[in-house]
Amino acid sequence: MSTITLPSRCDRAAAEALLPELVAALGNGPLVIDGTACTHIGQAMFQVLASARRSGEGAVISASPALRDAARQIGLDSDLFDGADA
Amino acid sequence: MNAEEIQAIFFAECEESLDAAEQGLAACRAGTQDDDTVNAVFRGVHSIKGGAGAFGYIALQGYTHTFETLLSDVRDGTVELTEPLVNLLLRALDTLSDHVAAARGLGETPDDTALQAELTAAMAANAGALLAASPAAAAQAPAPVAEDSDTGSDDDMGIDFDSMLDSIAGAMAGPADEAVEDPADDTAAAWLVKIRPHAGAMRNGSEPLLMLREVIELGGTCVECDAGAVPHLDALDPGVGYLGWTFRMPASVDEGAVRDIFDFVGDDCELAIGADAAMPPVRLPVSEAFAPPAPAPIAPPAPPAANVAPDMAQASKPASVPPAPAQTAATAAPAPATGSGAQGVPPAPPAPGQSIRIELSKLDKLIDAVGELVIAQAMMAQRLSSDGLAATEEIAALDGLTRDIQESAMAIRAQPIGSVFSRVPRILRELSASTGKHVRLEVSGESTELDKTVIERLGEPLTHLIRNAVDHGIETPAERIAAGKSGEGTLMLSAEHRSGRILIRIADDGRGIDRDRVLAKAIEKGLVAPDVQLSKEEIDALIFAPGFSTAQQVSNISGRGVGMDVVRQNVKDLGGRITIESEAGTGTTFTLTLPLTLAISDGMVVNVGDQTLVVPLANVVESLRPAPEDVKGLGSSRTMMNVRGKFIPVVPLHVAVGAFGAVDAPSEGVLIVVETEGAGRAALLVDSIVDQRQVVIKSLDTHYRSVEGVAGATILGDGRVALIIDVDGLVARSLAEQGQLDMAAAPAAEAEAA
Repeated sequence: MSTITLPSRCDRAAAEALLPELVAALGNGPLVIDGTACTHIGQAMFQVLASARRSGEGAVISASPALRDAARQIGLDSDLFDGADA
Repeated sequence: MNAEEIQAIFFAECEESLDAAEQGLAACRAGTQDDDTVNAVFRGVHSIKGGAGAFGYIALQGYTHTFETLLSDVRDGTVELTEPLVNLLLRALDTLSDHVAAARGLGETPDDTALQAELTAAMAANAGALLAASPAAAAQAPAPVAEDSDTGSDDDMGIDFDSMLDSIAGAMAGPADEAVEDPADDTAAAWLVKIRPHAGAMRNGSEPLLMLREVIELGGTCVECDAGAVPHLDALDPGVGYLGWTFRMPASVDEGAVRDIFDFVGDDCELAIGADAAMPPVRLPVSEAFAPPAPAPIAPPAPPAANVAPDMAQASKPASVPPAPAQTAATAAPAPATGSGAQGVPPAPPAPGQSIRIELSKLDKLIDAVGELVIAQAMMAQRLSSDGLAATEEIAALDGLTRDIQESAMAIRAQPIGSVFSRVPRILRELSASTGKHVRLEVSGESTELDKTVIERLGEPLTHLIRNAVDHGIETPAERIAAGKSGEGTLMLSAEHRSGRILIRIADDGRGIDRDRVLAKAIEKGLVAPDVQLSKEEIDALIFAPGFSTAQQVSNISGRGVGMDVVRQNVKDLGGRITIESEAGTGTTFTLTLPLTLAISDGMVVNVGDQTLVVPLANVVESLRPAPEDVKGLGSSRTMMNVRGKFIPVVPLHVAVGAFGAVDAPSEGVLIVVETEGAGRAALLVDSIVDQRQVVIKSLDTHYRSVEGVAGATILGDGRVALIIDVDGLVARSLAEQGQLDMAAAPAAEAEAA
């Protein structure tokens, strides 16, 4: 199982940089996205995460409080964190 | 800015609007229209109407109102776009352009009573058959809507839509209420806003989530995040906004406050306010298939964009709103971009590149200054090189920069030639109305750019050539069919860049030039001697002679014999050439070769005796040093040179310009082979070639007077003035003079050359 770690600042540039990595990793089986270091996140990265959840076997995302809080505020928490293999 | 200036801008915008409308209707006629085409026409007419009202042009305003109302019916799909209707709209557009001209004081106010009646009839005629004519509208809109839009057709579009929206809301009340039950329970007066940020809202450091945070700070709570449109990772474009949100706002919050938050991203974030408003759709990059503006929420699940609606339906929690027909979304958001709705309301037009309007004189000053800069730079380079400091890097850099600035300055003035071509359809319509000849127009290369001055001065000759082609070139339908051609003539207009010049072709598939008749007419008019022997090209060129016309009777289109010589003069004034190719029975092609700009040209700087001259590079084919045996004397005064087996006449430039101390023998100097319009190739004899560079053209006419054989002047690096040779004029004159001296040799020369 491969793990990809999110940077603390997950802006659009980060999302763009991370996208090819995620595509490659998801092709190789289960994936864990480590978001425990994330302090700031924007829409672009949220979209990437939401997409990663529904691609391949579905990534498992572990979140920092800030990430979880931000996701909850914009109604994305269930999409991103519900269940292990949704 | 005073009222007059504002008015000037209005008229400039009118021109643009008319152009846009013309293009749109042309697309409709060609059958290549999409959802936005009719809307673009509508917008054009609508903006003219707005300005007309503001400036008090009553006739123009009244007319545009009728026109616009019909267009809005077409746009809504309540009136079907048929070929007769397109033709009516085109006629209406021509009259509109006359109206604009009249408002400008450039003509009489046209009598539009009959046309207005026709336009009105087109609306009224279809109003009764509304439901039948438009199955889409019938399917999705219940009867009251039809009535509303019926009565609303007299009104302005906005009002029309509002009333439709109301009735749709009413019709949808049942199911919508059920779905919104939950939020209605706790906060009855709360309202919903749907937010869809697009790509632009995520660019340039802008972050939609920060705006959402502000919404939350206002007291909004997220009801739902619509992530249904997010594709799989391999199809994901991080630049596209896939997410959409529904927020519930407390009643105490003003709608305007929410709009203010998203104000500065404008178009890039769509809002839909109201419980029954549908989520604005995802805006995908243009390359991907855009979801069809399907009226129903049962869009096919295949294309990603169409997924939005069904996915939303599946993901809908009790609090969510069922996706209403997209129509409501489009109408609910009064923001400039209303998204892709039904009823032919197309997606917002792609944001045009930002632009500013500036006065032409300011631009000309800039160009002038850049010209001086080029000269100053050349002078400095020359001074430094004479001091032995030529090859410094800084000079090379400065040289490059100067050239860049110059090119950019020129590019500011460059405009696509389409603005000239777009007038052609109207000319053709008028011509086909008055001559009964049907002409199909084929245009290519309309995006080719050239200098604004050239474009402006191109309109007149082009109009003449087109009138000429239709009047003289293309036969009547009966004649065409008798000749085995299709009854409809074809006129082809094309433009392309070729080696620093622009080539414009006007080709018809008509009867071609009747050379016997042209020659007979020329002899009759005394333009040429009765016993003269002329080549095909020379006969063709006769049609450019002043006072020449073969038209049997003078029509208001052509036949006064002032057209073609004016055409040639206009083209020559622009530094261009015009050539004819004609084949009896198959058609005639006029080719205009024009410089891209009138301010700068590439030239070869040459020395002739005590003079320095510039030969425009556009004319130069090659330069060579002839071996003595390649040069043959011909008669007493002519010299011919053998260039790879072909003999071309040598024109000693020093004789033509009266320079002293120049090389006389071709084998001792340099020969520059040039291509001319009238006389084919010729070799200019010069002492030496000094340089090849861009020269800033200074008009001799404005500073001195027009001189035959001289196209203009330029200032060299050392501050001296050098004349720019008008190769065509100079070679033609020199050869004619030589010919007079040596008449007997002419046939022999041709025989030898062949």
